Amino acid sequence: MTRETVRFGHTELPERQVEVLHRAIRLEWITIAFLAVTVTLVFLVLGNSQAMKAAWIEDLLSFIPPIAFLVAVRINRRLPTKRHPYGYHRSVGVGHLVAAVALGTMGTYLIVDSASGLIAAEHPTIGTVELFGTSVWLGWLMIGVMAVIALPPVFIGRAKLKLARELHNKVLYADADMNKADWMTAVGSIVGVTGIGLGLWWLDSTAALFIAGSILWDGLRNLRAAVTDLMDARATTFDDKKPHPVAAQVDEYLRGLPWVAEAGCRVRDEGHVFHIEAFVVPVDGETPSLDTLEEAREACIDIDWKVQDIVLVLTRELPEVVESGAPAETKNSPAA
Amino acid sequence: MRTTTPFRAAVIGLLALTLAGCGISIPSDPDGTLDEARDGVLRAGVSPHGEFVVVEPGASAPTGSDLSGSEVEAIEAFADSIGAEVEWTVSSEEALVRGLEAGDLDLVAAGLTDATPWIDKAGVTRPYAETTSPDGSPQKLVMLVPIGENAFLTELETFLTEYGRAQSGEAAR
Repeated sequence: MTRETVRFGHTELPERQVEVLHRAIRLEWITIAFLAVTVTLVFLVLGNSQAMKAAWIEDLLSFIPPIAFLVAVRINRRLPTKRHPYGYHRSVGVGHLVAAVALGTMGTYLIVDSASGLIAAEHPTIGTVELFGTSVWLGWLMIGVMAVIALPPVFIGRAKLKLARELHNKVLYADADMNKADWMTAVGSIVGVTGIGLGLWWLDSTAALFIAGSILWDGLRNLRAAVTDLMDARATTFDDKKPHPVAAQVDEYLRGLPWVAEAGCRVRDEGHVFHIEAFVVPVDGETPSLDTLEEAREACIDIDWKVQDIVLVLTRELPEVVESGAPAETKNSPAA
Repeated sequence: MRTTTPFRAAVIGLLALTLAGCGISIPSDPDGTLDEARDGVLRAGVSPHGEFVVVEPGASAPTGSDLSGSEVEAIEAFADSIGAEVEWTVSSEEALVRGLEAGDLDLVAAGLTDATPWIDKAGVTRPYAETTSPDGSPQKLVMLVPIGENAFLTELETFLTEYGRAQSGEAAR
């Protein structure tokens, strides 16, 4: 079977990444299908439990990251135009921001809602439903449903986490991370409903507060990550834990060239791919030929598929904002 | 998130304690409505409405003998099923709902339907019977219980479902 070429803007994805992308897309569709079932099931047994309400809203919100991902990878493929000279890569960042704001808002709302229920000492009322001719306490059904839907997202999340690393996709990462923590929501609502069953009415609102807190926390964490990227902060790995190694690799390559005295680059994370400005100070201030420059540029692009748009800038001295380049010297580093 | 382990441990410990303390019964009432009514007194509030709750005209302080109607009968049958005597209160719906909120009543019936606006003030049972309203549209009958008294609510709903089935069975014959 021949695969069509998959691009992110001008970047043609390597075969490995194309496969990963296809798997990620499939997993996100599976997630959406699973969520549709979950949301329906939970809605059917929702009752008056605040914890169940919180869990249901979290499930509803869980639709956003997969949808944002699917939309973003589609828009991403468009080629850069005169109107959009940097391409459409930022769609990933926009999706990330939208998901984060939604999470933060709903988390806050649920915290207020649950806390006011707790303060007003609202006793949740849960009665029975008729099931096959007998009356069954609805709480049992709630517990059953939450127990069934607790685990699958954990496995889906783990699978997505691996793909997120290879694709360098932060929306996918955020989504995977949320899925992975989903069992806690289920356990939380089971605890809440069990509390109602035992007559401990406050346990329901308390469990809801715990779930709402985790939603808010997800929102704030993602908001920080999304804003950081949109603010063109230094490119980091997909989990925002450390600077992305590609910048150092490009620096290292350029510094190794015979005609380069110093080199340093600044890297913007556009979502999947990087836009790089590499500042180069030539030896003896001598301007290299166009061919030499072009060769260096091509070599940089070959370092990693994520290096997409790279611009080489010849300069007398490196700007302060890049890692300074002269090997074994630290002359340009600001106050140690 | 590792921080949740102590939380869960605390919850599980607490549940275990509670289970040991009061014997396993799920659901149960935070305020013990069912326990107090069983083999004791069921405090029922009714408000006259159609054929459901009928109060003998001229009865100044109505007691059980002055009351009739399908819901009055249903409540008496329910009280029998838990070995309770009924203590009747006849008043307006609002006063009765306040009685539920204050813990002075266990149960309210007034030909209420599942469209009742008292939903925030009281626990509403699952519809237990269907009738036709004067304008011909179908109506689903419910009763009110104190909010959050889930054992009592479950007992009542289970009884009313059986009772409703028996009644409609009789009517069919």
